[in-house]
Amino acid sequence: MIAWYDTNIILIQSTFVGLLMALSLQVPIRFGVFSFAGIGCYGIGAYVAAIMTIRYEWPAAAAIGAGMLIAGVVGYLLALTVRRLGGLYLGMATIAFDLIVGVLAVNGGDLTGGPSGLFGALADVTTLHLVLISAVVIGLLAYSERGAIGRRVEAVREDPELAASMGIDVRRHRQAAFVISALLGACAGGLNVLLRTTIAPTDIGFSLVVLALTMIIVGGSRSWAGALIGAMIFTWLPGFLEFSGQWQKVIYGVIVALAAIWVPGGLLGMMTDAYRSWQRSRRDAGSGDGDRTPLGSRAEGTPA
Amino acid sequence: MLQDLINALSLGSIYLLFALGMSLVWGTVGILNFAHGAIFMFAAFVSSVITDQVRLPLPALIVIGAAVGALLSVAVQLLAFQPIMRRAKDHRSGEMQILIGGIGVAAIPLAIAEEVTGSNPFGFAGSSYVTSTFSLLGVRVTSTQLMVVAAALVIGIGVIVWLRFSRSGLALRSIGVDPETASLMGVNRRVLSLSTMAVAGGLAGLAGVLLTYNLGAITPESGDVLLIKAFAAVILGGVGSMAGVIVGAYVLAVAETIVLTQTSGLWVDAVSFGFIFAVLLFKSEGLFGRREVRRT
Amino acid sequence: MHFGGVKAVDGLSIDLTEGSIFGVLGPNGSGKSTLLAALTRFVDLTAGSLHLDGEEYHRIPAATFARRGVARTFQTVRLLPGLTVEENVRLGADRIRGRGIRERGKGDDDVAEAIGRTGLRGLERHRPGELSYGAQRRVEIARAIVAKPRLLLLDEPTAGMNQSERQEISALLRELREEGLTQVLVEHDVQMMVDTCDHLFAMNFGKLIADGVPASVVREPAVREAYLGKRWSEHV
Repeated sequence: MIAWYDTNIILIQSTFVGLLMALSLQVPIRFGVFSFAGIGCYGIGAYVAAIMTIRYEWPAAAAIGAGMLIAGVVGYLLALTVRRLGGLYLGMATIAFDLIVGVLAVNGGDLTGGPSGLFGALADVTTLHLVLISAVVIGLLAYSERGAIGRRVEAVREDPELAASMGIDVRRHRQAAFVISALLGACAGGLNVLLRTTIAPTDIGFSLVVLALTMIIVGGSRSWAGALIGAMIFTWLPGFLEFSGQWQKVIYGVIVALAAIWVPGGLLGMMTDAYRSWQRSRRDAGSGDGDRTPLGSRAEGTPA
Repeated sequence: MLQDLINALSLGSIYLLFALGMSLVWGTVGILNFAHGAIFMFAAFVSSVITDQVRLPLPALIVIGAAVGALLSVAVQLLAFQPIMRRAKDHRSGEMQILIGGIGVAAIPLAIAEEVTGSNPFGFAGSSYVTSTFSLLGVRVTSTQLMVVAAALVIGIGVIVWLRFSRSGLALRSIGVDPETASLMGVNRRVLSLSTMAVAGGLAGLAGVLLTYNLGAITPESGDVLLIKAFAAVILGGVGSMAGVIVGAYVLAVAETIVLTQTSGLWVDAVSFGFIFAVLLFKSEGLFGRREVRRT
Repeated sequence: MHFGGVKAVDGLSIDLTEGSIFGVLGPNGSGKSTLLAALTRFVDLTAGSLHLDGEEYHRIPAATFARRGVARTFQTVRLLPGLTVEENVRLGADRIRGRGIRERGKGDDDVAEAIGRTGLRGLERHRPGELSYGAQRRVEIARAIVAKPRLLLLDEPTAGMNQSERQEISALLRELREEGLTQVLVEHDVQMMVDTCDHLFAMNFGKLIADGVPASVVREPAVREAYLGKRWSEHV
């Protein structure tokens, strides 16, 4: 066990960072906001944490916290700026935002280290810290998926107009999605840079957006558990695919494409559906004929 | 100065050739195809692999590139986008899934090309066509640049004329405005979507071959970069407007050339990203686009 | 209210007194749904004003207005497919809870009561997709009444229901009126409107063509011509 841990420590740590990063895209999607800004905030968090650690020798928690604070503010301002955009346009605007963060990093001079980035961000972040932070984040998100908050989020995503008629302030929820996404992204970025000690502009490009999105698509976008499944798969899959030799990347591509096309709910969605239909069949078998009429007489008509 | 203008013109023409197909599909069939960059790259890649075996002239490579692009584009439509649209519960969620599906599908050709080339640049060293350079008034122009500009303008204007005056062009525009009514009027949406995707893919393949000639070599990742730039050109001109995408492509190229010559060059990418952001925020219908008439 | 140059509802002045059911009658496209959308702040007014308790409200967001105790149902069924029937109804109760108006735990009783009154008992754990159309409509009504609103707006609540289901809904609405709930009811079923409402507004082309006691409104020639001509004979 100890030996396994030692040989795989990088992958284990990457799984948690990947989880936080995937969550930073998943939370807005769950709120019905198609924003990829979490990845730009990952960059902000990574750079701020690195700068604070290298230049000012701040302790790790403060350096990451500073990154989260700045990213949170940026996320809120971004939410205000793009408040009138929706769907595809919002998605593309936030991808542009992510890429602008990369351009700023390239042109940041001594502060960001230019195209070669920053080196030597040494800090005492351990796997235990990662596990604790992830546990807290999962706990909070799991809470937000249940009860009154969960129902509100569901309403805001599925039918904003209906949500408004229920007295739910849709605009506030959207802003919250941006800020939560920014905090999660910045946290992931800050943790990763302090674990790996370096960050460069090429680390936060379009491919990172694709990776995080891939995790959610394959894992499932409805719950934190989907992001966890996705983060595990895409952190460990390359190792398992080594048997396939040089076609590893192609297999990876096929998996992503198949998931995107045929399993829109991700693996988690598949499992939930299976569980529900099992539950249904059990319920139908168990219940008498008393209250089943509405089920049997499924009206075909649509309202005028 | 004049040299910069020539460079901007040929850069803009590449953007235009790439963006035309993307804009055509997006403005009519309503699909933002994120696999367009991979189709573009893969067409050039296949041409490169073939000409390494058989020494081919430029026209042959263009035909191969366009054919590969068209086939790939049709395959993506049949295997990815159609199943997604059939299953999507509404336009909004379908749009998102098509974007994600496009990103997913794009991973396959990219992976194949990266695998074969070892992620190294590839070109047409085996082709019989050699770029010749002219010098006029101290300005250097290559034959490939001239060809790129001519192709972009001819095809760009050709698409406008076709959309405006032909029956199939009218049918295509009608599904862009109101798919339901268009179907009622006897427009076969499925066939039209497929042929539009084929045309768009063919244009992407053509652009891939010409760009590879123009630059000497491209990398498998080139498609992603162009995708964002083309998106900026389409947004700038206005979704659904072909004249808009022509203007958008050249405006973007000129702006990038200015930034390139006036700064260290590291800010160039900020131009397209900045355009996307600014246009979406302040004039979301672009320079020439119609206001959104589609019901949401 | 203007839709691209066309006035959807024009020169309409209605005054809702507490504890009555007001019916809005009119052919498709006569502006009934637009009227509800305007009353609930989903579309902005281009002219005119709205008052609740004598206070102007035509500049506040829809959500804020809803929190003042106004509930509505929609013309098309709008349930959340991922939630069970019970959770969908509970969504309606949430708005009151958490705002300190009601003590904790009371929500459960309200949800059970709303489900019982709309005849959905036994279906709590089903998802909307598994229900008949009429049952889905009843979930909509349950969600609207669970929060004990002061004003309830119903946009064709019985569309797609059979005759006996309609009578049940009509009885429920009258029962709610006896408890003091003011309602605005948009419906096509003339017989149901006459049976249920205290006051009827008849509309056509976005204009009020008649209003008053239901029985007399449906006898107005203008109303018959605009809307009832064919249908009335089907119903009587």
